[in-house]
Amino acid sequence: MSDSPTPPPRVRVTAPRSAGAATSARTLRPSGTDDPAGDIAAVYVRSLIRSQLRLAITVAVGFAVATLLFVLAIAFVPGLDDTYLAGVPVSWVLLGAGIYPLVITVGALYLRAAGRNEARYRSLTEDE
Amino acid sequence: MNPAIGYIAIVGVALVSALIGFYGLRVSRTTSDFYVASRTVRPWWNASAIGGEYLSAASFLGVAGLILLTGSAALWFPIGYTGGYLMLLLFVAAPLRRSGAYTIPDFTEARLESQWARRVTSLLVIVIGWFYIVPQLQGAALTVRITTGLPSWAGALAVAVLVAVVVAAGGMRSITFVQAFQFWLKLTALALPVVALLLVVGGGEPPAQLSPAEAFPVSAGPGDLDVYRTVSLMVALLLGTLGLPHVLVRFYTNPDGVAARRTTVIVLVLLSVFYVFPTVFGFLGRAFAPDLAASGEADALILLLPDRLVPGPLGDVLTALVIAGAFGAFLSTSSGLVVSLAGVISQDLLGGSVRGFRIAAIVSTIVPLLVALATESSGLAGSVGLVFAFTASTLCPMLILGIWWRGLTSRGAIAGMLTGAVLSGAAILGGPLVAASVPFIAPFLEQPAAWTVPLAVIVTVAVSRLDRRGTPAGTDAFLTRLHVPERR
Repeated sequence: MSDSPTPPPRVRVTAPRSAGAATSARTLRPSGTDDPAGDIAAVYVRSLIRSQLRLAITVAVGFAVATLLFVLAIAFVPGLDDTYLAGVPVSWVLLGAGIYPLVITVGALYLRAAGRNEARYRSLTEDE
Repeated sequence: MNPAIGYIAIVGVALVSALIGFYGLRVSRTTSDFYVASRTVRPWWNASAIGGEYLSAASFLGVAGLILLTGSAALWFPIGYTGGYLMLLLFVAAPLRRSGAYTIPDFTEARLESQWARRVTSLLVIVIGWFYIVPQLQGAALTVRITTGLPSWAGALAVAVLVAVVVAAGGMRSITFVQAFQFWLKLTALALPVVALLLVVGGGEPPAQLSPAEAFPVSAGPGDLDVYRTVSLMVALLLGTLGLPHVLVRFYTNPDGVAARRTTVIVLVLLSVFYVFPTVFGFLGRAFAPDLAASGEADALILLLPDRLVPGPLGDVLTALVIAGAFGAFLSTSSGLVVSLAGVISQDLLGGSVRGFRIAAIVSTIVPLLVALATESSGLAGSVGLVFAFTASTLCPMLILGIWWRGLTSRGAIAGMLTGAVLSGAAILGGPLVAASVPFIAPFLEQPAAWTVPLAVIVTVAVSRLDRRGTPAGTDAFLTRLHVPERR
């Protein structure tokens, strides 16, 4: 966490209604067909979106598969129902506590990878 | 149980929440302060606030109650409640923050440039919010009845009045403080009793009512998995979290997209730590209070267990603590929901002024109060799970496709949201009637998400492709805004 000691200045957020967000976005980065620089910018943006989506889907599928394997292991490894930890079967303890470390690890890995994708986009666009 | 303990704990939490709320009022002056806390909230504060808001009656009382009632199948609920934030992190957190919108309807309108899409979204947000508040008020009714002996309606009414007053007075800035406080209150209120109970039980006195093999039978264990129900529940909980209005509105208070992601990872940690404690409570309940499952009071397990296992003053203190935590859960989730509902109602119907927000806050509380007074609770974790299924079938496809697929059109989004709403709504409301006569479709109606979510997605995509008007003119610019990192 790179939290600086002084809080950032307060930002007044206006226009709760209507398409304010959309109109201000339109002026942000023009991508007209007559403008080659705008075309290249649009290509960079599309590739950023694709890489972020691919990353998110990969991580989500990885999480689902890992969870599935974990559950199958609990169900099919023999003896987990008859081994007791402080009076609770190990199979129950594993299902009750085992998936959370996985969730946190996967989340932290995604955080770094998504940041890398954005850093790559920045290095591409800030050269110009 | 001594009613004085209940009164002291409930009044104490109510006073502290109200005080923090009014303290926040002094720094909350402008319209933007009211809606999104001026976007200066730090990740740890924000994460605590999200945790405080999210951990509702279902998490605080319902999970332990369901573990007592049904066994290890209930362990999937906290897994899904936590995993939902992973999906939120992957697909929604940063783009949503960058969208620059206040509420989900604002997002819909900015993305799809359609007033009709906005209206449908607003309507869904309001319906979801109302049905999510109802179990909170039912939890409050249960807590007040069990701990003080007052009639059920007193608890529901007390929470509703307090929430309406605090929200109408302070808005979200104060609510961020209140919610962050609530998370740590709820964690402490479960963690300390769990540690104390484990120490007492570890000493061998009182002895368990059931042997480990009887308390944790293999037939209720992880090996005996109902595959369809579990998968469908996970679809509902993982994807439903994305669309919960009170969760989304909290992401707008992050300074930027990267902070929104960091906040979400911290939330994953906080939730993972929290859910250890209701789980242990549930395990203790299976061994030491199996009679509560039979008497239909399983949701009161957390409130009753400390007094049963630890007699005397220490038991009273622990009981006061869990009551305070439970009451905190009802207050925090309800107020978070009322803030987001009031934001939507006041912007769409009342012109977005501070006065409109106050009126909307009161309206958003009265409707669920009437529903809660008219109906009986049928298991807190289960009814909240159904709200997740409805959210996953309606707002989630629109949000994910809106953020990641440039082909989404307003007609497609509206068609998909209505399909999801009609199918999942019919399954949830009509299911109990049909399931009795046709038992083999009962699981599909009781846990509809596994088929309603894919159908909603298919309809959204198909109608968008057939829509001859094509995507809105500003789509590329808007997607750029969602995904391009902020300038440093």
